[in-house]
Amino acid sequence: MNRALLRISLACLAMFVLLLLNMNYVQAFETGKLASEPGNIRVFNEQFTYQRGSIVANGDGTNVKIAESVPVKGTDEYKRYYPFGKIYAAVTGYDSIYGKSGIEQAENSELDGSDPRLAIRNFTALLTGKQKQGATVSLTISPTAQEAAYHALATGTNGHAAAIVALNPSTGAILAMASYPTFNPNLLTTFNGETLDKVDNALLRDTSQPLLNRAINETYPPGSTFKIVTSSAAFSTGTVADTATTIPAPEPLKLPNGNLLHNDDFETCGDGNPSIIQAFWLSCDTAFAGLGIKLTGPVLRDYANLYGMNRSLSIPLAVSPSLVPKVTDPSLTGMSAIGQFDDTVTPLQEAMFAAAVANHGKLMTPYLVQQVLGPGLSVISNHTPTVLSTPVSSKVAGYLQNMMNQVTHNPSGTAFLTAGPQATGGIDIDGKTGTAQNGPNNSGLNDAVFTCFVPGENIAVGVIVQGGGYGADAAAPLAVQVIKAYLGRHTT
Amino acid sequence: MSADPFADRPVPMPRGRRSTELAMLVFALAVVLLAYCAASLGLSGKLPSGPLLYIVVFAVLMLAAHLAVRRYAPHADPLMLPLAALLNGLGIVMIYRLQESGRNGNPGNQVAGLLTSATQTQLLWTGVGIVALVAVLVLISELRVLQRYTYTMGALGLVLLAIPALLPSSHSTVNGAKVWIIFGGFSIEPGEFARLALAVFFAGYLVAKRDVLALAGRRVLGIDLPRARDLGPVLIAWAATLLILIFETDIGTAALFFGMFIAMLYIATQRVSWLLIGVLLFLFGTWVTANLFHHVMERFTVWLHPFAGSNPTGIAYQPVQALEGLAFGGLFGTGLGHGQPYYTPLVQSDFIFSAFGEELGLVGVMAMLLVFGLLVQRGLRAALAVNDPFAKLLIGGLSFVLALQVFVIVGGISGLIPLTGVTTPFLSQGGSSLVASWILVGLLVRASDTARKPAPQPIQDEGMTQVVRAA
Repeated sequence: MNRALLRISLACLAMFVLLLLNMNYVQAFETGKLASEPGNIRVFNEQFTYQRGSIVANGDGTNVKIAESVPVKGTDEYKRYYPFGKIYAAVTGYDSIYGKSGIEQAENSELDGSDPRLAIRNFTALLTGKQKQGATVSLTISPTAQEAAYHALATGTNGHAAAIVALNPSTGAILAMASYPTFNPNLLTTFNGETLDKVDNALLRDTSQPLLNRAINETYPPGSTFKIVTSSAAFSTGTVADTATTIPAPEPLKLPNGNLLHNDDFETCGDGNPSIIQAFWLSCDTAFAGLGIKLTGPVLRDYANLYGMNRSLSIPLAVSPSLVPKVTDPSLTGMSAIGQFDDTVTPLQEAMFAAAVANHGKLMTPYLVQQVLGPGLSVISNHTPTVLSTPVSSKVAGYLQNMMNQVTHNPSGTAFLTAGPQATGGIDIDGKTGTAQNGPNNSGLNDAVFTCFVPGENIAVGVIVQGGGYGADAAAPLAVQVIKAYLGRHTT
Repeated sequence: MSADPFADRPVPMPRGRRSTELAMLVFALAVVLLAYCAASLGLSGKLPSGPLLYIVVFAVLMLAAHLAVRRYAPHADPLMLPLAALLNGLGIVMIYRLQESGRNGNPGNQVAGLLTSATQTQLLWTGVGIVALVAVLVLISELRVLQRYTYTMGALGLVLLAIPALLPSSHSTVNGAKVWIIFGGFSIEPGEFARLALAVFFAGYLVAKRDVLALAGRRVLGIDLPRARDLGPVLIAWAATLLILIFETDIGTAALFFGMFIAMLYIATQRVSWLLIGVLLFLFGTWVTANLFHHVMERFTVWLHPFAGSNPTGIAYQPVQALEGLAFGGLFGTGLGHGQPYYTPLVQSDFIFSAFGEELGLVGVMAMLLVFGLLVQRGLRAALAVNDPFAKLLIGGLSFVLALQVFVIVGGISGLIPLTGVTTPFLSQGGSSLVASWILVGLLVRASDTARKPAPQPIQDEGMTQVVRAA
């Protein structure tokens, strides 16, 4: 019987080995998945009992706390506090007992300390009897630029919904990201379910959608700013040799489907046969629509893709894709080439257009999180800038820079009055305006769009004001305010 | 032979090793005491004051057990009692921790169905268990005396099993399982004792019939099938298992009975064909019942898709809480008193292992599984060493079913296999399981004592007489 007993022993051993393996699987490998199951009551309860990491804005070189956990008097719980209220709402998002958004959500595992990179530190804390602590997330946001962007939106849009994004063209670091109307995240930090329900319902029912982050999650027609993409394709493919090359600009342009396309106010573009640079600073629709038809839809779409369109980005907040649909019909291609038809972009995408041009054709991947810092501010991770794509060569980028320079510096440029040297107090801003028709049969108010950069400085800005009217009048001044503040930050 | 260096010396006799047992027992008690202090500190931030008496009483009980072993089974395996004591003690600590949750100003929620006297009751049952252990050691000097009661035990086992099925629900059903005998405030789970009685019956029956059962019938696919006429007993055991399943809605207990029977049949006959027949019958029986009974099928659904749809808040609520508790504990656990095990329904009984997983972490439950594994291994070792075939079979079968029980419940709560409700030996709240577990330890101790008892000492110094020892 001993042989059978030995085999039975092996069966027992196998059962215990299976149990040990499965326990390891559940308690070591599956913990993250199980912890993130919706309705995990333990994780939910625990989140208020220790100090969640702070979110700091480090874009100006010093750490400015924009979200922190403060002890609640008389309890052993911590509550989230946003010292600047609405200003950083589009960046931080909120942290409520029902859910999170923004950086609070995207960097949750770092902030709550559950990230595997923090495991050793937490273990040391466990052994030394210290409380578990979340990591500090340090953002690329420049408090100066962010506050300027917020105030520009709050005071400069006549109540229209709008958003601003500022980028560092040479790294992709996001310097400012503001959306309007916005919300005060402090209202959502309450532990009282009923109060939160009330606040939450009011925010959700508000038709102005304050919880929507328009900077990255809402898309608008780019209008004439898309002529940057059309010009990129024209130069790069050799269709247009250089900025002095003339292109036909009939008024009106008869589209292949028989429809007539007019320039703004039915104006003739220059002498009717302008150089591309003149057509650009005047923003002649017929010239660029004709160019687009000549380039064909797929080629235009290829260059749009190189500028980061038609793809989702994570900064690490999820960014809604900016879209250029696949078009083969030449008439629709013509409309698409001037940023109409079904082209849509986020304000972030607008900033990326100017940033790629400013950075000599190299588009850097936009990002918000510069560093994750463990307790004692030891660096756990540090972002290294990466190139997202190279939409144009540095030669073509030079052409585009010259063209964008004329938009603000040529007395007949569309943004000469609002973003030219006398409007900026001498700061060189190169940009492109857009005034996008939208709504059914273009019945809606025009969306105002502006994308720009400062030669020799590390800032590019994208602005969209929904229903704001002319890009030069409604959007460009907001960008100028942000740039002025950012460039002046060292002297203040 | 002449090169054997030991040839001229006396053969070393196995020592009693009672001092080793005492040292191990004191170590186990120290672990329990520390766990108890840790639980109290975790709950209230204070060291336990009055209720430290619990641990003193527990220590006295265990030392009494040690003295009984010293007196009645002096050659027994020194690890069995300390291992069982450690598990029993940790179970009491966890029940105390769960009982105090949300009470006396401690954080957390109260555990439903756990009375404020739960720790005292569990301690009382520990005392009964130790009395049962001592009774086994005193009354049963050799396991083979039990063989005389083969059919008595068989009848007793069947009666114990059948009683809950025959009683009205109000006197037999708790939480959907019709496995209890309830009178007044007093309830026992006769299945726990029926398992021991039937193990004795199986061992006696199989020792008597094993030669017949081992006879080969037809050979199919390289496996000797038994003769058709010998299939009777296995079919009867299978049918009995199915009846338990159907009338008592207790899948776990049924699996344990059938597993124990098949393992003992295999040990007795060494025929792989019995194993195959057993496994196939079990799978077939499970398939039939799963299709006949909704609640059996539901177990499979919950096992495969615990997080699907409304399962986490509905039918899978309990296993999902257990899994999330285990995950919340992670590698090192929250520490006793710091977790939230009270969210898992029945955490004090069937799900107590998930509470250990949450508060002691992977490290803690791996250690506890090893303690169980060690106890099983010591039992199997005793079965290997003992000469009497009846004892060999009985102890082999009981050790296997102990392992199987741990596998079924721990595998169930951790999602390895479909969940079935069986108690966790020594840990779960409940007297029947605890007393039956201590009787099991008594039988293991007795078997190991028999196995390690030195053979009658031949007289060595009788002039020139050469003693020849047969291997």
